[in-house]
Amino acid sequence: MTEEYEPKILMIACNWCSYAAVDLAGTSRMRSPHNIRIIRVMCSGRVDPQMVLEAFVNGADGVIVAGCRLGDCHYIEGNYKTLRRMALLKKLLEQLGVEPERFRLEWISAADAKKYVEVANDMVEKLKKLGPLRISFEEISKLIEEVKHIE
Amino acid sequence: MSGEEIRIGVYVCHCGTNIAGTVDVEEVVRYASTLPNVVIARNYVFMCSEPGQQLIKEDIKKYNLNRVVVAACSPSLHELTFRNAVKEAGLNPYLFEMANIREHCSWAHPDRRKATEKAKDLIRMVVAKARELEPLEEIKIDVTKKALVIGGGVAGLRAALDLARSGFTVYLVEKRPTLGGHTARIPFIRYLGVRGDELISSIVKELVSMPNIKIYTNADVVSMEGGVGSFRVRIRVRPKYVDSKCNLCGECVKVCPVEVSNEYEYGVGTRKAIYLPYQTAYPQIYVIDPEVCTRCGECVKVCPTKAIDLDEKERYEDIEVGTVILATGYDPYEPEKGELGYGLSKKVITLFQLERLLDERGPTKGVLRIGDTEPRVIVFISCVGSMGTSPKAGSYCSRMCCSTMLSAALKIRDQLPGSYIYVIHKDIRTYGYDEELYWKALERDIRFVRYEELPEVKVSGDKIEVVVKDITIGEYISVPADLVVLVNGMAQGKYLREVLNVVRVSCGDEGFVKEAHVKLRPVDAASEGIYLAGSVTGPKSVIESIIHGSAAAARAATVLSKDHVFAEPIIAKVDEDLCSGCLVCVGMCPYNAISTKETDGRRIAFVNPVLCMGCGTCAAACPSGAMQQQGFKDKQVFAQIRAFAR
Repeated sequence: MTEEYEPKILMIACNWCSYAAVDLAGTSRMRSPHNIRIIRVMCSGRVDPQMVLEAFVNGADGVIVAGCRLGDCHYIEGNYKTLRRMALLKKLLEQLGVEPERFRLEWISAADAKKYVEVANDMVEKLKKLGPLRISFEEISKLIEEVKHIE
Repeated sequence: MSGEEIRIGVYVCHCGTNIAGTVDVEEVVRYASTLPNVVIARNYVFMCSEPGQQLIKEDIKKYNLNRVVVAACSPSLHELTFRNAVKEAGLNPYLFEMANIREHCSWAHPDRRKATEKAKDLIRMVVAKARELEPLEEIKIDVTKKALVIGGGVAGLRAALDLARSGFTVYLVEKRPTLGGHTARIPFIRYLGVRGDELISSIVKELVSMPNIKIYTNADVVSMEGGVGSFRVRIRVRPKYVDSKCNLCGECVKVCPVEVSNEYEYGVGTRKAIYLPYQTAYPQIYVIDPEVCTRCGECVKVCPTKAIDLDEKERYEDIEVGTVILATGYDPYEPEKGELGYGLSKKVITLFQLERLLDERGPTKGVLRIGDTEPRVIVFISCVGSMGTSPKAGSYCSRMCCSTMLSAALKIRDQLPGSYIYVIHKDIRTYGYDEELYWKALERDIRFVRYEELPEVKVSGDKIEVVVKDITIGEYISVPADLVVLVNGMAQGKYLREVLNVVRVSCGDEGFVKEAHVKLRPVDAASEGIYLAGSVTGPKSVIESIIHGSAAAARAATVLSKDHVFAEPIIAKVDEDLCSGCLVCVGMCPYNAISTKETDGRRIAFVNPVLCMGCGTCAAACPSGAMQQQGFKDKQVFAQIRAFAR
């Protein structure tokens, strides 16, 4: 019997809200899908679009970038910058043939453990339907080089 | 550090059974020891314990480790603990990194195999980052030995008093024209045996006699920058239009044509546009409410001391402080119009209003009358706005309402011995010594009816009927009431939303500010140097708020008593050779921390280390990679990402 396909998801979370929400989900013993690996940065504003591409190159089936709710950013407005950057990135991913379900930008407050669990479950469910990412790494690597010049 | 062989120690914590009960720690350790550059990997029952830390310290010496990774709980709990341990062993504390295998793994995934695999992945990723870590020097900040207290209620006053007594300069900023907050409107505080305004007056009296306190009323904090040790704050003082020449004669009130609902009496009774908040208000000066004043000038004409100036402008003051205490309190839950008959009849009031009506120094001198008649049947409905009784209600218990309700009910029983008093409740939570009130109420024929579904208050003309399903008999009963008291709880302070734009603290779902850690750092906000006092963190009694205020002051003093504090060096830094001077970063910075400087005839970016708060937004935008956030450098975060799948 073949094992069920388990997507691998990378989440880059800001220290103050979304990372804390995942902590709270754990502290509250909420069950969340095991598919998600989290990298902590201080602010979602630190997330360079290259990081998301790099994750796809390195085997991620999906990527979540998460920050504080708009207006609640610990660094005043870092998440607005994330919003702008990720909007551009989404278009880029589309053109590359990465299904839109594979990348999500989410605003999760420190208190909203429930939202984290919902987002995580929803993404796992969608990625299970989609299956593994099917584009060549070389293509993406080339793209990363291009992005470097654009920014 | 370059060229030196990287030697990593990995320590996997069992956290008793919290981690080891789900994650196969032995297997994780075996796996970690196979990772490149890992010299030693161990597991231990409690890494944060003294022997656990000792293990790390000894290994650093024994194995000549130059990187340490601890896989345990969230870094928000013990990052600092382990950084200190590493530092004590002579290693730079920033050559340490944490993998969160408890909150993010063992507590979230009951499946042992999957949790173990995830723990391995998380550790591999963190080890990859650890390889790229660099030693960092903490930023030394001179401490401004002054404190700012935002909010002049009982918690803020207490915090200000304790800090002022300790010799620190304190700035106290109160939004309203008077100090005291809601506490000043409480007729009687059990256990303390005093009136709320008497308690406030006694604190204010001592406070104003001190040379090292500056009080701003009718003022708010409009901007704040910097961090622990050195916050730069701008205060806006709104005009009161009346100055200290005011002799409290009250002539102005007689001629003022504007009459509005009196918020200091929770809407029981009215006040004029020019008014004294209440008899014992501090400062003892009349004030004009600019929202309702028509500028008719009648008050100016009659003022015998020429104390009124309708053209007074707001003014700004800039201060610098080392710590900030946030004590903006709560506001009573305000029922919506029509919610349980509220706003539809004068016979439906809130508990806060009832307390004012029962205050012998209140608008009715403590005599309970509805219109001109004595109410005969009085119905209390508890948990209005609390305990999730309605969609708008908070899910929490407001702590104080049950006791306050029963105190009021007993007072009514004394005043109106022939009355019928019903308490329709979801639950009675007279915690601690207040349990006595419940027994007294039972003895004195106050009738308790328990509900599960919220009662219905039917208002038809002058008649009010309360219909409730009594769960002990399982049947609906109907009470014709002369007075319905909605026992409203505490909700987020209205001013807090404004403050949140200035003071970077975060709120929980219920609208109260979250502590950095409920048990380990109960009066600290998540941001260093900001402390929390009173019901800004959730419903509290007066006594609890006083204790909380003292606790916050003690925490603030731990910073103010030092000459320097050290801030985390996870700030942005420019590689001067790489920077092309495009200055994309300058526009990114929310703190104006990036300026330019000239080096070898070139214009390049320069980060002010004191102003930079370490968000890393500039680093993400830099096209050349010259701008890097220390501790979250490109090479560090990318290494972590690259280790994601392999």
